[in-house]
Amino acid sequence: MTTPIIGYAGMTHLGLNSAVAAAEKGFQTVCYDADSLVISQLARTELSIVEPDLSELLKKNIDRIKFTADLSQLRSCDLVYIASDVLTDDLGKSDLEPIGALIAEVATGMRPDAVMVVLSQVPPGFTRGLFREDRQLYYQVETLIFGQAIQRALHPERFIVGCAEPHEPLPPAFAQYLESFDCPILPMRYESAELAKISINVCLVASVSVANTMAELCESIGADWSEIVPSLKLDRRIGQYSYLAPGLGIGGGNLERDLATVCNLADQNGTDAGVVRAWIANSHHRRDWVLRSLYREVLSKTDNPVIAVLGLAYKQDTDSTKNSPSLALLDHLQSFQVRVFDPVVPASEVPNPRCHGAESEYEACEGADVLAVMTPWRQFKDLGLHEVAKAMRGRVVLDPYGVFDSEQCSDAGLSHHTLGVGAFGVGTLA
Amino acid sequence: MLIGASGFIGSAVQRRLEEEAISTLALGSADIDLLDTSASIHIAEALHPNDAVVMLAALTPDKGRDIATLMKNLTMMQSVCAAIEKSGCAHLIYISSDAVYDSRMNRTTEETPASPPDLYGAMHHTREIMARSLGQVPVLVLRPTVVYGLDDTHNSYGPNRFRRAAKNDGKITLFGGGEETRDHIHVDDIAALTVRCLLHKSTGLLNAATGRSASFHYVAEMVANQFGNSIEIITTPRANPITHRHYDVTNLIKAFPDFRFIDLVDGIALVHKESLVTA
Repeated sequence: MTTPIIGYAGMTHLGLNSAVAAAEKGFQTVCYDADSLVISQLARTELSIVEPDLSELLKKNIDRIKFTADLSQLRSCDLVYIASDVLTDDLGKSDLEPIGALIAEVATGMRPDAVMVVLSQVPPGFTRGLFREDRQLYYQVETLIFGQAIQRALHPERFIVGCAEPHEPLPPAFAQYLESFDCPILPMRYESAELAKISINVCLVASVSVANTMAELCESIGADWSEIVPSLKLDRRIGQYSYLAPGLGIGGGNLERDLATVCNLADQNGTDAGVVRAWIANSHHRRDWVLRSLYREVLSKTDNPVIAVLGLAYKQDTDSTKNSPSLALLDHLQSFQVRVFDPVVPASEVPNPRCHGAESEYEACEGADVLAVMTPWRQFKDLGLHEVAKAMRGRVVLDPYGVFDSEQCSDAGLSHHTLGVGAFGVGTLA
Repeated sequence: MLIGASGFIGSAVQRRLEEEAISTLALGSADIDLLDTSASIHIAEALHPNDAVVMLAALTPDKGRDIATLMKNLTMMQSVCAAIEKSGCAHLIYISSDAVYDSRMNRTTEETPASPPDLYGAMHHTREIMARSLGQVPVLVLRPTVVYGLDDTHNSYGPNRFRRAAKNDGKITLFGGGEETRDHIHVDDIAALTVRCLLHKSTGLLNAATGRSASFHYVAEMVANQFGNSIEIITTPRANPITHRHYDVTNLIKAFPDFRFIDLVDGIALVHKESLVTA
């Protein structure tokens, strides 16, 4: 059997990372995007997205990757992935028009005997709507995580494949490609696979919501969630990889999309999604943790405070600011002087006319009454806290993710506030 | 136009408006009878399309909790709405109450559904809807939590009643152990928030609360402290289940991030000091 050639249509985050992973596994890969500017930049290995190892692996495998804006180049492929990211609005609703157009376009360019696989984030029912007797069509669940996209594409836990007929064997080219990753392959109906993708994310949200709920309680009664987490992870029913780190609500867009999809489906079908709506409400509540803490510790006490913010991206190792808690916070601080620094996101993205974009973390802290660490970039861990304290005018550090060590903050004379950690003896007012 | 200017909160709002040098037509119950059929005509004559209206006139529960009182309160609001419909206004602030929330609701936000447990709460909720029904008029509904201050005449359970009891009887009697927690806001904070909302032309719904709840026992202790610890705090057998109410004031912080509330301890001391001066 010859080695199949793999095509990827749509050079967004999902498509590019998936294509580079395929090339790294040794497959000849054709990367198509109608935008010739995007293609020419990628051909020069210039990236507009930030993802660990992506740049290195792209350069390493560039001989196996053909970037093209010419649709006819997909005729060489045995397997073509529709891999464009599906954009969502602020309510998590997907815009499916662009992917519909891309699928129609690719169908005219690929060989009739080649296999089309929808890898994009689509709602249940979408793939069935594309089915035609004369087309080999599959849906494959993607579980991309921003900041870990390459690692997860290279080492998937399993493949979940939506099929028109799950009991029939996969086409040889598709099977050969998936088997090269040496992980379980789970064929199922289109609808089951589409809902499996959502179910995974719903489970993750449930775990995070538990963590956020209990962490907030910890803050109120003087407990420390970080002390509790290991006891949960050692419980087999919960597990060592469970999502138990408290955060500032759900961000990034994909989880919100799936929660919105579940609510919409439940509304259409009359099933109960009350718990999902509670998670969404909890997420909104936790997003404002820093604002509430900032108000309690600084804004309600200090005239004309200067506020330093480290991190603008919605999480570390990405330049994505979609639903970023940092930008959401800054949106409410427009009447205050703020100083910001992010390793990759420019200060021009901050919705604040009084924002100063600093060249470094220390410069951002200069004269600040309070420091908020809004994205847990690794490099922030290495900051000298005495130097931070020296640069600041005030002492308050709001560090939701616990980037800094509380004891070291204390040594530097800083008052450290982090998610899930309450002060000893602090309960309700009475 | 301040309607209900002679009441506990109305007086505080009027003082604040004067401090801000905002031209105000203050109407109290001595100036206009909102139950009179001609009330809406008088209001409409005085009202101009560019004016703002703050409506807080109401018969409070101490004046009656029955259906007749409910209907009177709705008639009063009907007069105001009819006048606004006739003359128009640029902004309406309706001062409602946290009585619109189910007393069993604990953590309360602006998203908490109104579910009034009694006629007083139903009255405020209905008046909110009446205000919002005024077509083109930008409306803000402000829902204050438990308000305290020197001039409160309602003597409802809390700082005001505790202070009077301490002064007159030398003791404060609690329901049960006073375990219930409530968010107590000083009347001057309500006034300051109202004026801020006027100046910002705020619309929608805002809970007027501090975001910090304290138990009635704690409040009683704070009041007793003003009298030099000679006040006895008496607990009684509990007749009703303990309920708590906490406000998530994130929306208020977003609207006015530099607003500073009067701390409860400071507020209780302030009221006590004012009472000594008044005496």
